Amino acid sequence: MARKLSRRSLALYVADGLTPARRRTTIGQLAAYLVENRRTKELDLIVRDVAYFLSQKGTTSATVTSAFDLNAETKAAITAFIKDKTNSSQVSLDSLIDPSVIGGVKISLPGYELDQTISHKLTVLKTRFKKA
Amino acid sequence: MSELSITELSKDLRSAIEGLESNKNLDEVGVVTRVGDGVVWVHGLRTAGYSEVLQIETEKGVVEAFALNLLEDEIGAVLLGDDTPVKAGQTVRLKGSVLTVPVGPELLGRVVDPLGRAIDGGPAIKTKQTGLVEREAIGVMGRKSVHEPLMTGIVAIDAMFPIGRGQRELIIGDRQTGKTALTIDTMINQAKQKTGVVNVYVAIGQKSSKVARLVERLKQEGVMDQTIIVATSPSDPASLLYLAPYAGTAMGEYFRDNSQHALMIYDDLTKHAVAYRQMSLLLRRPPGREAYPGDVFYLHSRLLERSAKLSDELGGGSLTALPIIETQAGDISAYIPTNVISITDGQIFLETDLFYQGIRPAISAGLSVSRVGGAAQTSAVKSVSGNLKLGLSQFRELASFAQFGSDLDASTKQQIDRGQRLTELLKQTQYQPMSVWQQVVSIAAVTNGYFDEVPAASIKDAQAALLSKVAADHKKEMTELDKGGKPSEDVLKMIQKTAASVAKGFEDK
Repeated sequence: MARKLSRRSLALYVADGLTPARRRTTIGQLAAYLVENRRTKELDLIVRDVAYFLSQKGTTSATVTSAFDLNAETKAAITAFIKDKTNSSQVSLDSLIDPSVIGGVKISLPGYELDQTISHKLTVLKTRFKKA
Repeated sequence: MSELSITELSKDLRSAIEGLESNKNLDEVGVVTRVGDGVVWVHGLRTAGYSEVLQIETEKGVVEAFALNLLEDEIGAVLLGDDTPVKAGQTVRLKGSVLTVPVGPELLGRVVDPLGRAIDGGPAIKTKQTGLVEREAIGVMGRKSVHEPLMTGIVAIDAMFPIGRGQRELIIGDRQTGKTALTIDTMINQAKQKTGVVNVYVAIGQKSSKVARLVERLKQEGVMDQTIIVATSPSDPASLLYLAPYAGTAMGEYFRDNSQHALMIYDDLTKHAVAYRQMSLLLRRPPGREAYPGDVFYLHSRLLERSAKLSDELGGGSLTALPIIETQAGDISAYIPTNVISITDGQIFLETDLFYQGIRPAISAGLSVSRVGGAAQTSAVKSVSGNLKLGLSQFRELASFAQFGSDLDASTKQQIDRGQRLTELLKQTQYQPMSVWQQVVSIAAVTNGYFDEVPAASIKDAQAALLSKVAADHKKEMTELDKGGKPSEDVLKMIQKTAASVAKGFEDK
C-alpha cells in the first residue's frame, strides 16, 4: 500500500507547480489524487497550506476585515504593512465587511493574523477578568 | 467576594487596554479542525512547542489548551476547560509560554485547582511568583542523601519503615484500607510536632465531598494553615487530572527551593494514570499494556524524581513524596503498581485482611519496606525498635502455622504472645499521631517484655496508662526525648520501672 502523503508535502508540490506553464496540470493532478485517495475533505486545509507556502515564496494573499468599508489610502497602508512584515513582493488584498467586529481591522495572512478589532479586544478582556 | 474598588477597577481596565494596544506584531495562528472529548486538533501553528499553551478564541472568551501531539499536518491539544464553546474553524493562537501556576506562601491554607485558581470560595490568589508545571528534576550534584526524619506519628511506620525528608515512599493497598488516613495523620503530625513541614495534598479525581471533609478535618486539627490542597474531581476534564500532581509539585518546589521542607501527597496516581490513558487514547497514541501509552512509566518517574533532598549549597530544603496507588484485590504485580514501586524508595503495603481483622493501620510488615529511611530514623526510636519488624514478621508466620496445632514449645509460644502484644501496640486510632517520646516509651514497654504479663486485649489500656503516668511524672525527660536523641540509661530504667508498675494493675484483669 502506498504511503499516505502528508498535506504539507502535497501543498509544497502544488505551491511549486503554480507557475503559469504548469498551473492547469498541477491543479488537475491534485484533484485526481484527492479523489483517488478519498481525501477531498482535506481540500480547504491543503489550500491554506498552499497559501502559506506561496507566502513564503513572496506571494501573499491577505484578507482585511473591518466593520466599515476602508478607503484606498488605508488599503494601501495595509498592503505596505504586509509587505514589510512578510517580505513579500506581491500582495493581493481582499476586503471583507463584517459589522460584528465593531471597529478596527483584522488582517489575516496565511498562518498569521493581526487582530486589532474591538470585538477581539473585548473577548480578551472578558477572559482576563473572568480569570481574575 | 473581595471588596470592589471602582478606582482600582478603572486603573486595571486602562492598563489592560494599553497592554492590548501595544501589540502590533503578527500573531501566528491556526484553525480548529476537530474537537471532542476534551481534545482539539489544530491546523497551522507550525512553530508550536511541546506542552505549549494554545489560546482558542471562542464566543465565550479565550479557552486554553496545551499541545501534546505535534504532527506534520496538525497539532493535538488537550483543553484546559469545557469543550462546549470550542468549534471547528475558530482561530487558535500561541500563548508563547508553557504552563505555569502561582507559587508561594500565599497559597497556604487554600484549596486550588491545578491551574492555581482558588476553589474554596475565598478571594482570588495573588502570588509574587509562578512556577513551571513541567520542570526538570534537580541533578545529582544538587542533591544530598536523605538523613533527616519525617515523622509520620504512626508508630508502625516510624519504627519499622522510617521515612526521611526527600524520600519517595509509596502507600499502596486496595480500596478502603486506610491509605488516605495514613497521609492525613502524617499531615496532622507535622502541625502537632511543629516540624514546619508544609503539606501539599493533591486530590486526583477525588469526590468533592471527600475533599470537603478533609479540609474540615484539617481545619479542626489546625493543620490547614500549613497546607495547600490541589483538588480535582471526577467531573473535571482528564487534562486537569493529568496536570494536578505536576502543578502541586511546582507549589511544593517553591518551599524546597527556599530552604524549607514540604511533603507532597498524591492521592492517587492510579487515577492519574487512568486520566493520562484517556488523553493518550483520544490523541490516537498507540496503546500498550493495559491500554496505557508507552510513556506511562515516564509520566510518574519524571514527577517523583522532582522530590529530593537538596544539597547545602542549594539551601538544604527537601520535598518528600507520599504517592498513593490503589490495587485491585491486593495485586501489586499489576502494571502501574510495579512501575511506581520501582520508582519510589520503598512502599507501605496495606492489607485488606488485616484491616478487617481490626489491625489498623493495616500495614503488612512483610511486604512493606523503606529503602533509604533507615539513615533518617531518629536515634530515640531506632534504639528501641531494632528487632520490631523481624519479630512481627516472624509472629505472623508462626501464627499462621500455629492454627494447625496446639502443641507449641515454650519459645514459640512466647514469640506468639509477644507478637500479639506488638500487634495490639501498633494499632492506632485515626487522627492521633504520636510524638517521639510516646513512641519510644510504648515500644520499649512491649519489646523489652515489661508488658508480658498484660493480656493482649488490655495492651492499649496499659499503654495509655503508662503514657499518662510518664507524661505526668517525667515531663522534662520526655521533652528532651522528643528531640530525637538516644534515651539515656536512666530514662530506660525509669520506663522499665513505670511500665512494671502499670503492668501490675492489668495482670489480674
